[in-house]
Amino acid sequence: MTKKKSLLNDQRFIAALVAIVLVVIYLIFSKEFRKYTSFLSMLDFSYYDILMAYGVTFPLITGGVDLSIGTGMVCYALVAGQMVRNNGLPVGAAIVLCLVLGLAIGILNGVLIGVMGLAPFIATLSTCMITRGIGSMCSATPWPTTSQAGGWFHSIFKWTFGTGRQAFKFPFGIILMLVLMFVLEFVLNHTKFGRYTIAIGSNREATALSGINVKFYHVMVYAVCGLLVGFSSVAYAAVTPTVQPGTGAGLEMDAIGGVFVGGVSATGGYGSIIGSFIGTMVIMLLKTGLPYIGLQSNWQQIITGAVLIISVMIDIVKKKGAAAKA
Amino acid sequence: MKQKVVASLVSAAMVATLFAGCGSSSTSTSTSAASSAAASSAASSSSAAEESTSSSAAEETSSSSAATSASSEAVESTSASSSSSSSDSGWTNLDQFDGLKANDAYEFPVIVKSFQSTYWQAALKGMDQAASELGVTYSAQGPNAESDIADQVNMLNTAISSNPKGIALAACDTSSVIESLQTCADKNIPVVAFDTGIDDAPEGSMACTVVTDNTAAGATAADGMWEAIKDTVTNATDPVRIGEVSQDATALNIQQRTLGFINEMISLVQGAGKTVAVTGNEFYVDNAEGADADEGSADVVIEVGVPAQTTVELCSTEAQTILSKDDTIAIFGSNQVAAEGVLAANANLSVLGSDVSAGDIIAVGFDAGSTIKGAIEDGTMYGAVTQSPLMMGYYALYALTAAANGETLKDVDAPGYWYNADNMNDDQIAPNLYD
Repeated sequence: MTKKKSLLNDQRFIAALVAIVLVVIYLIFSKEFRKYTSFLSMLDFSYYDILMAYGVTFPLITGGVDLSIGTGMVCYALVAGQMVRNNGLPVGAAIVLCLVLGLAIGILNGVLIGVMGLAPFIATLSTCMITRGIGSMCSATPWPTTSQAGGWFHSIFKWTFGTGRQAFKFPFGIILMLVLMFVLEFVLNHTKFGRYTIAIGSNREATALSGINVKFYHVMVYAVCGLLVGFSSVAYAAVTPTVQPGTGAGLEMDAIGGVFVGGVSATGGYGSIIGSFIGTMVIMLLKTGLPYIGLQSNWQQIITGAVLIISVMIDIVKKKGAAAKA
Repeated sequence: MKQKVVASLVSAAMVATLFAGCGSSSTSTSTSAASSAAASSAASSSSAAEESTSSSAAEETSSSSAATSASSEAVESTSASSSSSSSDSGWTNLDQFDGLKANDAYEFPVIVKSFQSTYWQAALKGMDQAASELGVTYSAQGPNAESDIADQVNMLNTAISSNPKGIALAACDTSSVIESLQTCADKNIPVVAFDTGIDDAPEGSMACTVVTDNTAAGATAADGMWEAIKDTVTNATDPVRIGEVSQDATALNIQQRTLGFINEMISLVQGAGKTVAVTGNEFYVDNAEGADADEGSADVVIEVGVPAQTTVELCSTEAQTILSKDDTIAIFGSNQVAAEGVLAANANLSVLGSDVSAGDIIAVGFDAGSTIKGAIEDGTMYGAVTQSPLMMGYYALYALTAAANGETLKDVDAPGYWYNADNMNDDQIAPNLYD
């Protein structure tokens, strides 16, 4: 049977529709939302969520999860920020340190899960606690502001032309996110690593039996996730005036929720980076947009929960439909 | 195919219904939702944090005592100046500590809200200084985050079970510790509450409270802000808006501070012959006193924003929505997180400054931290109110020692100090402005 491709079959399209509907609602009901600066702020706070979502897409496709991304991100930003403040570490080196720390925790997760055979939930819950504890040992740390020495790292995500009130700011980060999206989507669908990731999610035993080094690729999946989380900590430090120790728990849920809205199969074996991007944007629109239309932001969590249920429901209905046709 | 179309239509309709349902209730169940959110976060993180907490807490104690020697001079100069002028500096009942000596080498457990903020490290510096003066020791503990309420109650109960001569406590959630305080009363363990007072503490459990008078401190912020905006408010022909961002509507100190600010601002505005309305968060709207108009007709609108979680990011979103409005002339962030949220929103908006007539929005903060201090130095933030964590820690340990000696104590009120670029290096102010 040749399957007719329909846009409505694609959860990413539906998620994008939801995002557009949200934007339209905000534009209609909020004068403030129509300002360029609101758009800028929303993007500022979305980069670290998007990067975490890109990262965690890989473990989710294998049927696993990474709960350490939120506290990990804050932990790396704290450790590196502390080194910048107290030990005079150049900001460039601090960024590398973030990436290395992320990679290290990612590999640790991978080894625990892929090699030692721990359940992903338990392994990453443990590293979540560990990174939170390490983060709590640091003191509250502001990274350099735009005007201070080392403040150049802000321009990874936002270019500022001019000074003061007339300054024009360009959200370069969104271009970075889009480029990264296409690169990772390519990696996922057209490289050995990506295809094995999907294969592990569909059926780990069969993948192992066909002679693939499942352990190695399983570790790789979490390492890639960790690396992206390391990068997200730079984005987090760029928008948070003072990174506070002990925080970060709960941030992972925005990213993981976004990935599910974007259509990753809850049981593994299917997912896309483009979907994760769109899904995270939906979550971001709910999180930072609702206050503009005068809603108490508690409603954001309730509505986000409802949107999640709906998106997983679509997944189930889709599968049932496919089964009925077969 | 038809099924899929129907499914997606239904889900779209559900989203639309949710929006419609919520749209009308902008002042809806904020308090209950916020508290349930806090409760659930505490529940979910308590088991996770438990193992890591004790180790990180121990780490903190040792590192903070290492950092103490540098600051002890600062304490000394402040304690000298504040005790000599205790009546006009806003402190009350300090004379009860004159000539105090410890009857024994006491060892006190001290339970703080968290080590998240350098605020608590300043408090511990003050305690270190008092401990060395009195010849007593203490061990500080605190949960990973101020929302880890259950963790803190566990720590308190563990401390009680070792039958200490006294406990100093800064409660994350005042109602959750009541049962433990009853145990203290039964076992005759005196408790000194510092930073956060416990209104409904059981009879006989509280030896002394050493807390900032938050209502007065909030009013101090309103007075400071009024200096900058009074001409604009008085001469305005169109309605103007004053924003307020608070990290929650549940913690007593934040409630008092926010209401102290709102109520003082209402009376200042009315003193200038203008009408005023309060909008936004339901709790604060309901508890503000004296508002005499509604949003549509008032000369001055005070808008209160409270985020769902106590993160800088969500505080920033609240600040952003207020700062984006054309009629906003001033904004107040009622603690470090909220004030930094205001500054984060300004990173894109660039509307803050110190000259209202030039179109600047006046920002007033609370507490300190290097981000806020930097913003005040360069004029982005007009001014702020600081508590005195250092001296509260210092006097909390004095109160503990006196209580362990068996003395009966009167409560100590700590003042909030207004500071701006001009006076932030004064002897009275500088030691409290932690980084």
